[in-house]
Amino acid sequence: MADSVVMGSGSLNSGSRSGSSKTSTSPTDNYQLARRRTLQVVVSSLLTECGFESAEKAAMETLTEMMQSYITEVGRCAKATCEHTARSTPTLSDVVITLVEMGFNVDTLPVYAKRSQRMVITAPPITNASVVPKALIAGQKRTHPTYIPSHFPEFPDPHTYIKTPTFREPVSDYQVVREKAASQRRDVERALTRFMAKTGETESLFKDDISAFPLIAAKPSAIPYLSALLPSELELQTLEETDSSEQDDQTDTENNSSNVSQDDQTDTENNSSNVSQDDQSADKENVVLPPGGVVPTGKANEENMIDNPYLRLVKKHKGRRKKLKFIY
Amino acid sequence: MLSYKQNPDPSGLHSRRCMNRKKDKGFEICINNINFQRKSVIGYVELTIFPTVMNLNRIKLNSKQCRIYRVRVNDLEAPFIYNDPTLEVCHHESKQRNLNYFSSAYTAAVSAVDPDAGNGELSIKVPSELWKQGDEMKVMKVYIEFSLDQPKGGLHFVVPDVDGSMAERAAHVFSFGNQNSTRFWFPCVDSYSELCTWKLEFTVDASMVAVSCGDLVETVYTHDMRKKTFHYMLPIPTAAPNISLAVGPFEILVDPYMHEVTHFCLPQLLPLLKQTMSYLHEIFEFYEEILTCRYPYSCFKTVFVDEAYVQVSSYASMSIFSTNLLHSGMIIDQTPVTRRCLAQALAQQFFGCFISRMSWSDEWVLKGISGYIYGLYLKKTFGVNEYRHWIKEELDKIVEYELKMGGVLLHPTFSGGKEKDNPTPHLHFSIRHPHTLSWEYYKMFQCKAHLVMRLIENRISMEFMLQVFNKLLSLASTASSQKYQSHMWSQMLVSTSGFLKSISNVSGKDIGPLIKQWVDQSGVVKFFGSFAFNRKRNVLELEIRQDYTSSGTQKYVGPIKVTVQELDGSFNHTLQIEENSLKHDIPCHSKSRRNKKKKIPLMNGEEVDMDLSAMDADSPLLWIRIDPDMSILRKVEFEQADFMWQYQLRFERDVVAQEEAISALEIFPTPASRLALTDILEQDQCFYKVRIQACFCLAKIANSMMSTWTGPPAMKSLFTRMFCCKSCPNIVKTNNFINFQSYFLQKTMPVAMALLRDVQNLCPKEVLNFILDLIKYNDNRKNKFSDNYYRAELIDALTNSLTPAISINNEVRTVDNLNTDVRLILEEITRFLNMEKLLPSYRNTITVSCLRAIRMLQKNGHIPSDPSLFKSYAQYGHFVDVRIAALEAVIDYTRVDRSSSELQWLLDLVQNDPVHYIRHEILSMLAKNPPFTKAADSLLCNEALVDQLWKLMNSGTCHDWRLRCDAVNLYYTLFGLTRPSCLPLPELGLVLNLKEKKAVLNPTIKSEQGPGGPEYRPSSQPNFENRLTFPTQEEEDIDMDTVHDSQAFIYHHLNMLERPSTPDITLFQLFALIFTGKEPSSVEQAMLSMPGTPMPTLSKESTSSKHGDHHHHHHHHEHKKKKKKHKHKHKHKHKHESKDKDRDSHAFSNSPASGRSIRSPSLSD
Repeated sequence: MADSVVMGSGSLNSGSRSGSSKTSTSPTDNYQLARRRTLQVVVSSLLTECGFESAEKAAMETLTEMMQSYITEVGRCAKATCEHTARSTPTLSDVVITLVEMGFNVDTLPVYAKRSQRMVITAPPITNASVVPKALIAGQKRTHPTYIPSHFPEFPDPHTYIKTPTFREPVSDYQVVREKAASQRRDVERALTRFMAKTGETESLFKDDISAFPLIAAKPSAIPYLSALLPSELELQTLEETDSSEQDDQTDTENNSSNVSQDDQTDTENNSSNVSQDDQSADKENVVLPPGGVVPTGKANEENMIDNPYLRLVKKHKGRRKKLKFIY
Repeated sequence: MLSYKQNPDPSGLHSRRCMNRKKDKGFEICINNINFQRKSVIGYVELTIFPTVMNLNRIKLNSKQCRIYRVRVNDLEAPFIYNDPTLEVCHHESKQRNLNYFSSAYTAAVSAVDPDAGNGELSIKVPSELWKQGDEMKVMKVYIEFSLDQPKGGLHFVVPDVDGSMAERAAHVFSFGNQNSTRFWFPCVDSYSELCTWKLEFTVDASMVAVSCGDLVETVYTHDMRKKTFHYMLPIPTAAPNISLAVGPFEILVDPYMHEVTHFCLPQLLPLLKQTMSYLHEIFEFYEEILTCRYPYSCFKTVFVDEAYVQVSSYASMSIFSTNLLHSGMIIDQTPVTRRCLAQALAQQFFGCFISRMSWSDEWVLKGISGYIYGLYLKKTFGVNEYRHWIKEELDKIVEYELKMGGVLLHPTFSGGKEKDNPTPHLHFSIRHPHTLSWEYYKMFQCKAHLVMRLIENRISMEFMLQVFNKLLSLASTASSQKYQSHMWSQMLVSTSGFLKSISNVSGKDIGPLIKQWVDQSGVVKFFGSFAFNRKRNVLELEIRQDYTSSGTQKYVGPIKVTVQELDGSFNHTLQIEENSLKHDIPCHSKSRRNKKKKIPLMNGEEVDMDLSAMDADSPLLWIRIDPDMSILRKVEFEQADFMWQYQLRFERDVVAQEEAISALEIFPTPASRLALTDILEQDQCFYKVRIQACFCLAKIANSMMSTWTGPPAMKSLFTRMFCCKSCPNIVKTNNFINFQSYFLQKTMPVAMALLRDVQNLCPKEVLNFILDLIKYNDNRKNKFSDNYYRAELIDALTNSLTPAISINNEVRTVDNLNTDVRLILEEITRFLNMEKLLPSYRNTITVSCLRAIRMLQKNGHIPSDPSLFKSYAQYGHFVDVRIAALEAVIDYTRVDRSSSELQWLLDLVQNDPVHYIRHEILSMLAKNPPFTKAADSLLCNEALVDQLWKLMNSGTCHDWRLRCDAVNLYYTLFGLTRPSCLPLPELGLVLNLKEKKAVLNPTIKSEQGPGGPEYRPSSQPNFENRLTFPTQEEEDIDMDTVHDSQAFIYHHLNMLERPSTPDITLFQLFALIFTGKEPSSVEQAMLSMPGTPMPTLSKESTSSKHGDHHHHHHHHEHKKKKKKHKHKHKHKHKHESKDKDRDSHAFSNSPASGRSIRSPSLSD
């Protein structure tokens, strides 16, 4: 088809460029080589028809190039013509118009085709396109909703993105469930700790067999209270799952504390405390609120009254203080 | 501003030195540099003094470890002497090693710098130009520049060793100390009775916050904007020991309920702070309500710091807490503990900070009141049961301590200064100063103080009690607002007499006998009670005997309440305990024999059905209680039949009675006791702590009943019923700790069950498997609370199940011959301990329990005994609870294996560990579980150890009063009061008593020891003895002391600096140069002692004799100077100081202040 020709011509250039430097074996290159070879065969047979016995390589190449250009031009024009009439696939008449445009007498074509001495060229062997093996279809695929054009790819199998149905009877016996959960957890823990012990430093309770009960070596930390006091992520997760009300409380207080503004005075206070804490770690969520606009909520009226000296503005130094002169 | 208030002399021992009284009424501290890298502080203080006496020519202040650059009085440079006898209590050359000697020397040293007696380490000479002004009693301003470098006490720097700026590293510094320890970080009058107003300034890095006492007036940037200065004002007169400071990159939380209250914590802990502080306002409300008085300060600050000295310390308008008190909402066990700490801190804000004390002997009033109102808070918040349980616990504690160690005296009076008058001769330390007290004693002192307050309440009613407190507070707050009459300020100091006067004014009652019994006298009462029922007379014959001869006891005479529960009801009787009457006849009410069907009325009006079949058919008595309200500080051992205890346990509603019954039932292992205990265990209306106690009692009874026990192991079926699944009873329910009572029970029952033993004295297999299953099936996924304490207790249960391994021929413990049960236990422990590294539990409770379990496995011979694991966990950098548990294991190992290298390792840690609390704990744990005692010989007990410990308490712990007392305690535990027996026989020495001009036998030599080789003591020894034993009031002697001590001080410092001895000699020569041409008047004293010094001694000895020599020059000079030559003295003293300072300036040449000291005007004149 014309499409492929156009694309072929585009890739031809690149292919020839890359071909000049080294023989490449990519499928596109193979395709180009095959096409080139086919064209050469066609040119050769035409030459033979006309009575040539041999031709120089350069001449062959030139003729092949001309042939290719011609066919390409036919394809390009045919496509342009068909698109001009708001279609996407060229028809026979498009090709005819193209040929006419290019100054070719179309009427001669049937005669030429039926000439007696023409050589029959065997079609190039068609390599079967490697068929992608069909994936196992599990479950019912979803059909496209109406707003998705049908040429879009189909939905994948539901098990890949919705759920995987299993067909074994779930275990519902409480004892077994608990048993399983317990031993699973224990196995995971044991495997994990063993792994950690194997990969890191260990301490041992027995001098004769160091590997018997490996204990991960105790490593002092610079700030030991952090890990000892802060709840672990696992615990936090559990907390979130089991109780969301408490979290609500927390966000509530955060809102309270961050809704400190409204009048100018408190605004400056906020700014000031921000300034004072700029140097501190940025991840601090604090009583201090961002300097930007804050929407006061119902509780804000009460909060407006906060006048805590630690939230006040840090003053700039004004002149020498009298008592400092003793020191400096 | 203000004038002078006469401070009553606390002891009568120290006569007032007229030259020396002063009052500081305004105090200004400015710390302008805090260097976290070098751990140093630079600043100045300015005191405003109102002289109250004529001829104020010398000012004494307290100061320790501060380097003082210059002192000015009213802008005139003033010479000063810095001299601290507590640095080295007994002088280095002394070979004395007995504790009696040390204790008296230490007491004398502390007295010598006691601010209440007008003493101090820093003696400032008022420039002569100002004498005239002083005579007119005009204001004087004393200005002192000082610095601190790597302070060992007073201020604690925590600088974690990670990358980043100091703020990112969460580096912080805070003040701490035992009692009045402010002198460690700035020069002041370090007394609770010297009040003044404060102005404080701290310049810190812009990323830091400085939290201190009083109102934050403003915060100002320095020129370069890299630092901020925090200005604080404290207008309420406050004593220096109540001043504190904390600086760090704190996160700030304004209390959502009280905006004047601000909380501070270290970075990342803000969520915990929010949770922890969410109920503080309730405590505030409670105290303000009962005291009908507003919180006295205009603001309150709480700071949570790492490596805290104590969990709670209160200062004026702020409290410093250990950061380990913070907890998240998931933690159950820590919550009440933290609430209690907050309540304690707040109670001390009223009594302790706002109201201070007149003298040390009035301390009991403050501790008593704050402890008492804290108890009221407990009663309100945690309930009456919890309160009564707490009172019983405290009472048991004090009784146990006093019976073991001897009495605790709340209000000591010191007449005279002689040793004979020591009010507590049974103690190995003096109670004259807070700094000489053992920490344990002080804790018991506080405990007794609040119990006595409760006794007073019993006598005068709570209403009057609160009125008294209100009166004290309102007088104090009126006084505090009076700015111009400082004599008013004495209202802010509480004294025993003032407090008692208030009580009698308010209540009109005479509580004299009560005070005499419990406050002026030490000891508790020990009762033994038994009874017989006389059927004929229908009378209960009660016999109450007392033991008042053993140590720690006293005789009680007075009323005692006895409650008798009869069939017809409960009756209170008040008996009079008199001198000779032991027997008391109590008529019984229940004439008729039991009327079946009739319900039995209880004390609280309740009427219950009882199964009366167990009781004696002839007696109407169900149970008898002696002193049920705990209105005597006593221990009661009462005999009654087992069924009576059982009735008491089941039907008496008072938790104290129930607990008493449970302890009594331990010796009655019968099925009836078992049933009573099981019933209590199952009853969920019963107080959970009673049920917990019943668990342990049941385990004991089950073990005693081993052969006759029927059914499953004790508590197993109960636990199954309460906490296991209905469908599969071997699996525990998934955790749900919403009901705290059953949570505590669930935690405790396995621990108690593990104490069960079978006929082979092993833990029954069934029980062990049960506990292992609990661990296996433990599932906390659906729980709102953390299960870390629960899991830790399950490990404790495994530990409890361990019994000694059967050892054949002392074979080495290997993996192969491990008992199968032990293998299972060990696997659990290994897994738990390893998991803790990946998912640490709150406060690392699981690691703590695992370490204990491993030590137990070692101790019982299941695995090889080896301290290396514990030593690695004891390192600095682990969480403090883990370190303590590991150290406890090492200490236990040291005792069991008699390891001298481990003992050495521990003692090294005592000297070098950065955390003060750890040092303290090592010494107190060593004293509790000593490697050996004075009673038994041990290889560990040798001369080197004695010397090391002696050095530790003599000079090694001078920066921490508490630690020094701990060292004294340990020394006492190991060697007793006399010379340790492992030392070689002491040299026979004559001690020259200069005062009486006669020689006495060296007091080190005890009569039981034989005479050693004749040798005289070094010359300075007699002087020292003399000084200690016969303190005199003449000025001559005082001056002599001072100089003598400063001499020792300088020598000590030179030693510490490890300088060659030549500078020492130059120093000496310098003095010699100044005093040439003067005839020493006291030369005969020197001559007397000189021949005693053996000639061929070590060079150290000869140096010391030089010192002795030098001292006499000095003495002489002092003596002469007294008459006229003031100027000369100045010069000399300043030479002396500046010499010292010159040395220092080598080390601190970059310090701006040090350069100035060379240009000191006193040098140039």
